[in-house]
Amino acid sequence: GGSGSREAVERLVREHPVVVFMKGSPAQPLCGFSNAVVQILRLHGVEDYRAHDVLQDPDLRQGIKDYSNWPTIPQVYLNGEFVGGCDILLQMHQNGDLVEELKKLGIRS
Amino acid sequence: AGGPLAHTIRAKLTAALQPTHLEVRDDSPRHGGPPGAETHFGVLVVSERFAGLPLLQRHRLVHEALRTELAGPLHALQVIARTPQQWQSDPHA
Repeated sequence: GGSGSREAVERLVREHPVVVFMKGSPAQPLCGFSNAVVQILRLHGVEDYRAHDVLQDPDLRQGIKDYSNWPTIPQVYLNGEFVGGCDILLQMHQNGDLVEELKKLGIRS
Repeated sequence: AGGPLAHTIRAKLTAALQPTHLEVRDDSPRHGGPPGAETHFGVLVVSERFAGLPLLQRHRLVHEALRTELAGPLHALQVIARTPQQWQSDPHA
């Protein structure tokens, strides 16, 4: 298949320690939930990550949902593992789990 | 209150998770779209079913209950999933 195939998606999520699938770009998020993810990463000093705009690629938009069995965008992956969407990232930010997860990746926030 | 989709969300979450507390919020008007469109929702679910489960699994239970809706008109769903104990100790979280 194309960009939405399981193999293609798996390559993308493993391409970088921090990968985000969002609507719009980090410079110009096109949805409040995607923007929240960008802001949380920024708060933690995570500037180096890979972001994919699913609005540019309907195949990928469906493919990432199938891959994670998660119905909504944004989606955050750390070290190739699906972490969650905006709500989960926000709660991990609030309860300190995100700092710990980033530390495992060698990112000090 | 709310439209047909709000009603369905409430009914399905009630049936699937037997919540001790449930709030269904329709955020659709804040996200544009035609009047009356039901696309964006937030839910607060307090249920014993979440005990011992990590966040990801709790959210998956909510998604599972609303699988049909998420595959259709429901584009965005904010989820807060708490156990009754967590809800009692911090009802504002």
